[in-house]
Amino acid sequence: MRYLLLISTAVGLLACSGPYKAMWKGTADMSCVQLFKPVFTTALYNTKVNVIGRHLSGLLIIKTMPDSSTRIVFSNEAGFKFFDFGFSGNDFNVYYIYKEMDKKAVIKTLRKDFQLVLMNNLNLTDSYLLKSNNSDTNYSYYTFRQGKDHYYYITDSLCQKLIRMERGSSRKPVMSAIAENFNQGIPDTIGITHSNFNFDIGLKRIYNYAEK
Amino acid sequence: MRKQVLLAGMIMMVYCVRAQYAGYKIVSDAANFKAQFATASQKINTIKSDFVQEKELSMLSEKIISKGKFLFKKENAVRMEYSQPFQYLMIINGSKIYVKDSQKENKISAKSNKLFEQINKIMMDCVNGSALSSSDFTVKIFEGSDTFLAELSPVNKNLKTLFKNINLVVAKKGYAVTKIEMHEPSGDNTTISFVNREMNVTLPDALFAIN
Repeated sequence: MRYLLLISTAVGLLACSGPYKAMWKGTADMSCVQLFKPVFTTALYNTKVNVIGRHLSGLLIIKTMPDSSTRIVFSNEAGFKFFDFGFSGNDFNVYYIYKEMDKKAVIKTLRKDFQLVLMNNLNLTDSYLLKSNNSDTNYSYYTFRQGKDHYYYITDSLCQKLIRMERGSSRKPVMSAIAENFNQGIPDTIGITHSNFNFDIGLKRIYNYAEK
Repeated sequence: MRKQVLLAGMIMMVYCVRAQYAGYKIVSDAANFKAQFATASQKINTIKSDFVQEKELSMLSEKIISKGKFLFKKENAVRMEYSQPFQYLMIINGSKIYVKDSQKENKISAKSNKLFEQINKIMMDCVNGSALSSSDFTVKIFEGSDTFLAELSPVNKNLKTLFKNINLVVAKKGYAVTKIEMHEPSGDNTTISFVNREMNVTLPDALFAIN
C-alpha cells in the first residue's frame, strides 16, 4: 500500500512538473528562428474549425498591409464575415467580430494562436533555449516570454527545420501549431490544436482565387 | 430666406439620391414596380443558373471570387453548389439548412443558429423577391436603362450590424433578379451575379432534400 502511494505521488509530481521542466537550459543564437517566420504578402486559406463538437468552415485571408501590420479576416463561404483582426508588433485590433463570437476568451485565444504562427512579436531579450532530454530527437525549444505566456518554437538540433510551435506556461503546453510546405515564405498548410479543450483550426492554402 | 434654404436642401437631397448609383434615378412610384415584380415572381417556379460571387474586402483591397451552380424551387428551396476555387454545398429548404464542405456535412436547424437563420431568410427573401415587402427593410427603387435597382436598408438592429444595405438588381425584361449586392457597414461587400439563367426547368425535389 505504501509502495502504491509512493508511485502515485511520484506520477502526480511528474504530471505537475510538466514536459518543459524536465528539459535543460542551453545556449544558442535565439534569432535563428526568424528563418521560419512566414511572409504573408497575401494568402487565402480554406479553413476548418472544430470547436467543442461543432464544425465550422470558411475562408481565411492573411495579408501584410502597407504599414507592415498583418490583417486576418475570416468569413464563411457565402461571404458572411466572422472576424477581422489586425496585428502589429504588440498591438492588436479587432476591426470586426460577429456578435455571437464577441467574447473576451474567444478573442484572446485566437489572438494568441495567430500570434504564435505569425511570429511577429518575439522578444529576443526575454528568451531562452531549452533542450529536450530525448536522445532520439534532441530537439531545441526556442522559448520567448510574453507576460505569463511562453511561446515555444521547436526545431531540430541545428535549427534548420521547424518541427512545431507550442504556447503554454513555463511547465506545459496548452496548444501546438504547425506551418508546413512553404512557398515563397507562405505556408501551404497551417494546423492549430488545443490540448486543454476541444478546439482545432486547419488551414489549406487556395490559389487563383481572384481570377474571373 | 428659410424657404430658400429649405428649397436648396431639397435640391441637394434629390441630387444626392440621383448621384447614389451611377446611371440610375429614383423611381417615385415604387408600388408599381413592386406589383410588376410580384406578378413576374408568381410565374417563376424554378430557377437554374450559374453564379459568380465576389467578396470585396475594401480595407485589404482584395477580392475573393468564387463560382458555382444555383438552383431555386418554389416556395423556399435553394441549392448553392460552389465549385471554384473550393468545393462547398449549401442547401436551404424551409427552416432546414444542409452544408457540406470538403471534410464534413452538417445539418442545421435555422432556428437554432442565428447566423444561418439570417442567411436563410435573406437569401430566400432576395431570390423570391419577398424582401421588397418585408418589414425588415425600407425599400427604395432606382431605374437604369436596362435594370431596376432595389435598395433594401435593414430596419432592425441585428441586421444593421451585418448590412448597411442589400441591393437587388432586377432586369427590366422579365423582372428577374440578376445580381444581389450585400454591403456591410465596414465597406466590405459580397456580390452574387447570376448568369446563364433558366426559368421553370424541371428540378427534382431530391436536389433540395435534407434527410
